[in-house]
Amino acid sequence: MRIGIDVGGTHTDAVIMDGNTVVTSTKVLTSADVMEGVANALDTVLSDSGLPKEQIQSVMIGTTQFTNAIVERRQLAKTGVFRLCLPSGRGLPPMVDWPEDIADAVGRHAYTLHGGYLYDGWPVADLDMDEIDRAITDAKAKGLKNFAISSAFSPMNAEPEDLVAERLRAAIPDAHITCSQSFGRLGLMERENAAILNATLLQFADTVVSAFLSALRQRNLNCPVFISQNDGTLMNADFVRAFPALTFASGPTNSLRGAMLLTGLEEAIVVDIGGTTSDIGVLQAGFPRESNSVIKVGGVRTNFRMPDIQAIGLGGGSLVSEDGETLGPQSVGHRLTSEGLVFGGNTLTATDIVVASGHEKIGDANAVSHLSEHVVETARQKMLNILDRGIDMMKPGAVQMPVILVGGGSVLVTGDLKAASNVLRPEHAGVANAIGAAIAQVGGESERIVSYQAIPREDAIAELTREAELRASESGAQKDSLRVVDIEETEVPYMGQETMRVRVKVIGDLAFEAAGAAS
Amino acid sequence: MKLHADDLEDLALGSVFLATGGGGDPYIPLLLTKEVLKRTGPVDLLQPEDVPDDAFLAAIGNVGAPTVSLELLPSDDEALIALEAFEKQMGRPLDAVISFEIGGGNSLIPIMAAASRGIPVVDGDGMGRALPEAQMMTYAIRGIPSTPALACDYAKNVTLFTTKGTDVYERHIRALAMSSGGMITTVEHGMFGSTLRGALIPGTVSFALKLGTFLRERRGQAPALLAPLQDLFADSIYGECRLVHTGKVVDKSTRIVGGFDVGNTVIEAFDQATAPVEIDIKNEYLIARRGDQVLASVPDLIVIVDYETSEPINAERLRYGQRVAVFAIGCPAFYRTDAALEVVSPRNFGFDIDYVPLEALPN
Repeated sequence: MRIGIDVGGTHTDAVIMDGNTVVTSTKVLTSADVMEGVANALDTVLSDSGLPKEQIQSVMIGTTQFTNAIVERRQLAKTGVFRLCLPSGRGLPPMVDWPEDIADAVGRHAYTLHGGYLYDGWPVADLDMDEIDRAITDAKAKGLKNFAISSAFSPMNAEPEDLVAERLRAAIPDAHITCSQSFGRLGLMERENAAILNATLLQFADTVVSAFLSALRQRNLNCPVFISQNDGTLMNADFVRAFPALTFASGPTNSLRGAMLLTGLEEAIVVDIGGTTSDIGVLQAGFPRESNSVIKVGGVRTNFRMPDIQAIGLGGGSLVSEDGETLGPQSVGHRLTSEGLVFGGNTLTATDIVVASGHEKIGDANAVSHLSEHVVETARQKMLNILDRGIDMMKPGAVQMPVILVGGGSVLVTGDLKAASNVLRPEHAGVANAIGAAIAQVGGESERIVSYQAIPREDAIAELTREAELRASESGAQKDSLRVVDIEETEVPYMGQETMRVRVKVIGDLAFEAAGAAS
Repeated sequence: MKLHADDLEDLALGSVFLATGGGGDPYIPLLLTKEVLKRTGPVDLLQPEDVPDDAFLAAIGNVGAPTVSLELLPSDDEALIALEAFEKQMGRPLDAVISFEIGGGNSLIPIMAAASRGIPVVDGDGMGRALPEAQMMTYAIRGIPSTPALACDYAKNVTLFTTKGTDVYERHIRALAMSSGGMITTVEHGMFGSTLRGALIPGTVSFALKLGTFLRERRGQAPALLAPLQDLFADSIYGECRLVHTGKVVDKSTRIVGGFDVGNTVIEAFDQATAPVEIDIKNEYLIARRGDQVLASVPDLIVIVDYETSEPINAERLRYGQRVAVFAIGCPAFYRTDAALEVVSPRNFGFDIDYVPLEALPN
């Protein structure tokens, strides 16, 4: 048995899963003190199920706390940024394009130093040890404890970052350090931003992970604990203490993964209809399709891999014009239950239309009996058209695909969707996020620059796969369940024929014994 | 007219539209130029007709692989160092600078250089869009020698070129760019005002700014923007503007060949009755076809924008699954002359078709 918990901005959900079956689930409000909501949700599912604690083999948590800390500029530690790129990049210091408030919150302690590499392995400049030591002395005098380190082309040669990290640790033994190489991918400023956002969260990550662990221990849940990351795989608790930023956008990923489990479909469109928006994502081979554009988190450009989500302005609380021709994007949002007509309010919303059309019994149907049949029908069709267009644009091809509806607003779908081969409304769809967290798997990645002329392609991929598999088993994956989910080959410009950056990603089920040992 | 730091964002947006997929992401040049203008104040934008006959000018811009500058960041003094080296070599100060190409990041480099040097920038450029090679510039087509030219790299190494012709020059600057981390800034095509006036695409800086402001203010779905965009282009050196396709990117593959991004993309229509459109890419979007029917070809402009926001998408950011609209726009008359078509027709890019002006193609 596993427990899945999803800590969202509004609700905290929890489920107990027996294999792929939902045993029990609950939804509580997220409290100001997040842990109170988690404790409530946990206590509810444990007592509802009546299961002995020993039967719980692991707890998986998905949380938006780290994303929200960045967005709300809370809990951010002052962070020193060391970038090795001079003499290039003069005039473009770290955080140059950040919104003022978050740059202030993180502090503006940037040190731009000589070093880094060119694409072809030639040094941009030799490291200047005196310059590095002067910067470290200054950072120490300022009392900084958190550091992000970046260096030109560090995904190909990380030595400069490693060297600065080592010297920082020697000078400031309790330093919390994030190197940009941990966030892979080319794009110095975006990779550096990811490292800074991660570094500034390190103390908060420690607090959050410790609070989760103690909430579980207090309930005698001594099983391994995992936290889900944005690619739908799990990190063990200690890993999250070092890489909290990898949890960004894990919510939509868990929602998509949950929808997959509830329907058994690996290729489908998932529409999560809330109060204000409908979030449309795509399942490909059972995982969310990733977005390729630059992703901003709290106004900061980053290179994180995030699910490709199209948000359209239609939800249960969307405002409807008098003639029924216009819906959204304005919405009463979470005030639906006081402002919608069927709830005794004065605002005509999408939910009121669905009740007036007789498709749902929510609130007081008499409150919408005055609406003309024509207006109701116009608005009802309009909703379907809006969703149809959104779905059609997300589909990977012209063929129809199954559409899975999750989220409280799925009542808005009162008829056929032209873009869908069929529409599924799985049971427990309201807690799809927590289910997605509970079923998350363990991944491992390996990446290298390879010349296919020196090492044949098959051999190179086989070797990288072995490395990725080793990493996955170290993180708690069951060996015989591992499979390759992605091979990414990018030609490296100007470096001679067939020089490629190759990345292999494997994924597997959690091995409970192995995971116990790893946590 | 003066260009202020606050204008640059709109100028950059307009310049990506005119870049027809190439030119590189102007994001980093934009950041850098903004920082410089905040320090120096605004730059004078000089109309071509106001350039004195005896004014001494040169073209300036970056050469290389834009993807490399994602790691090897440019500096705010490279343009000025190249400019001063050029002045020293020529033995006289420059009165103004002009852009290689209005498309992409090279719309901003001359502004940064002009601000740093305290001279005006000319309202015009040498392409009216983005094109991949030096011999395709109006200055070269008009026979203005490209060298002596000066280049500056990330480490402030300065190199002088004196070559026999623009084609040789193009090979040599590419080679230097590759051995200098992938990107250099060059100052070339020294010329006088009297020569420049017949050898530029006029008004493109102010037009890119106007276009960018339009795209920001009218941000929205591409079909709704068509009519006002047509008005905007009809009133410019470009003329015709068509919305030739809307749909979803279902395939995009490019490979780096000889320092260029070469490949194609296939865009399936939203409405299943319309056949998909295929677009050939060599840094820029060069030819758009539906089946055997050519919809537009270089040197006319092919522009791919985000369907929802009408924000232009350059080729390196174009990805599978994106929902897009394709616009085709006529090129300036200069590029329809025989002399220009000798270097920028589809055949110069390896395609076995003749150039047919957009207006002569079926709509």
